[in-house]
Order: sequence, then C-alpha cells, then structure tokens
Amino acid sequence: MPSRKLPNYLRGCRKGLGLSQKEMAFLLGCRNGGSVSRYERFTREPTLKTALMLEAVLGVAIRELFGGAFEQARQQTARQAQELVEQLRTHESSPPVQRKLGVLDAILNDRHANHLNAYDNRSQ
Amino acid sequence: MTTAHNEIDRVLSIDLCNRGVGFVVLEGRRKLVDWGVKQARKARETRTLAALGQLIDLYRPDVLLLEDCFVQGSRRCPRVRKLLKQTEDLAVVRNLKVCYVSCAQVRQAFARSKAVTKHEIACVIAARLALLAPQLPPPRKPWMSEGPRMSIFDAAAFALSFYESSGNTNHQSNLNISNS
Repeated sequence: MPSRKLPNYLRGCRKGLGLSQKEMAFLLGCRNGGSVSRYERFTREPTLKTALMLEAVLGVAIRELFGGAFEQARQQTARQAQELVEQLRTHESSPPVQRKLGVLDAILNDRHANHLNAYDNRSQ
Repeated sequence: MTTAHNEIDRVLSIDLCNRGVGFVVLEGRRKLVDWGVKQARKARETRTLAALGQLIDLYRPDVLLLEDCFVQGSRRCPRVRKLLKQTEDLAVVRNLKVCYVSCAQVRQAFARSKAVTKHEIACVIAARLALLAPQLPPPRKPWMSEGPRMSIFDAAAFALSFYESSGNTNHQSNLNISNS
C-alpha cells in the first residue's frame, strides 16, 4: 500500500469512464471544466455536496476517491483521540468512561469500520 | 547499480515519441493513477520538458522510468537521446530516482505471456490494466504509421517490466537505478 497517497484520484477515475472534464462539470452542475481541472490538480477541494456527487458519478467510495485527504483526516482524528484518552484517564473509572475509551481505542487502532457496522446494525 | 526498491510506491513512466510524450502513473502494478499523451508539435523539447515537469510536480513519484536508449542496439535518434538526458537532469533537480528500462528487459518481462510484438505486449497490458483497454490502437498494417496512443502502452510496458523485475528477484532489481 502506498505510504503517501495522492489527495484524490479523480482524474484516473474520470478517464476510466471516458468522460471529459466538461461532461463531468455538467454532471456536477458546474459552469465549465475549470472546476474539475482544479480538483484534479489538487489546487481546490470540492464541497461535501460535490464530493458526494463525485462518488455517485464515479461509483467509488469517497475514502478511496480522496485517499490522501482521508488519510490526513484520519491521522488528525487519531491525534485528537489520543488527547481525549489522556483527558478521560484523569477521570474516575466508570462504565460510560470505559465505553468511551473503547471507542477511542478503536479509532486509534483503525477499527472504526467495525463501529460503523455496529451503528448500521443498531439503526436497522 | 543493483538496489532494493520494495519501498517504492508511485512510479511515473514515460515514453518519448515524435509527437510528444506518452506517460502512465502507477501505484503498484495494479493501480493506474493517470495516463495519456502530452502533445508537443512545435518547440518539442521545451514543451515536452515543461509537460514532464508538471507531471512530476503533480504526482510526486518515487521513481521516474525512462527508456534505456544507451544500450547497444538501441535505435533511438540523437534528439530523443538528448531529451532523455535532459529529462534525467530535470529529475536530478527534483531529487527523484531515475530508472532506465531497456527494450530487451521489456521483451524478457512479457515473454512469459508469449507477447513478442508491440501489439501483443499492448494487448497483455490492456488485459492487466483494464482502464487502458479503450486506448488500445488497432493492429498496425505495414503501410500505417504508429498511433500516438501506442506510446501510453510503451510507457506502461516499462512500468510493468520494472515491477516484474522487482518482484522476480526477491525485491532486488537488476534495472539501472540512479539515486539523484
């Protein structure tokens, strides 16, 4: 696995589908292909709505499509989680604190996918 | 120079042709990041080098793969040889590893797939990297000139030969790698 992913893999996915930047811009509701070009050259980040539209058009999950950005966000979250763990450890141990520590441990060890699955099962 | 390169992630492979430069960017032997032909009809050297500089800056590859035209039997013209040298200099400025892959190494790498001609090799590449399949040019007749998209497949052939070499020799490459 690459240790340093690119911010996004939009260009390859778009070319793979045989779409031009202009056509992609039309699908995303942009005025011209300039915005798509800027996303592909990593000079601009799309909004959440545009990112979701990109996922819908390209059929690739956002975390795969924006591999580098996701990796960066995950690392930042892990740092914050570590800080929160240290704060919680100063509290008295109780079942809610233990549960939170379990969640944070999952975030730190990249097991959050299991938590998401558990959430999906709960909500069904 | 023999070197270990199992830590290499992203490669930019290029093939210089008379119309400009064909390129592929790969992350591992399966993940195709980008590909295409950068056309340069006028001021070919300047435009080609500018396009390559942009590609390097955009994708920040770990290795730049070039055709080894300095081996015996290579039929590359002086213009391309000079341009390849200039490309290497460009990589040196950007602290990029450069690796030369010869046509003999490409033939050796694809011999197992029983691909001998350029078109057969391109077909094998299109089968391995499905995203390139629509780019596959039709078989060339003797009176036809080579399609510009063939340079994408030539660049992909260098990249796959590079990975093949690293995989077959227990993470030791027999390709010529220079640490810039």
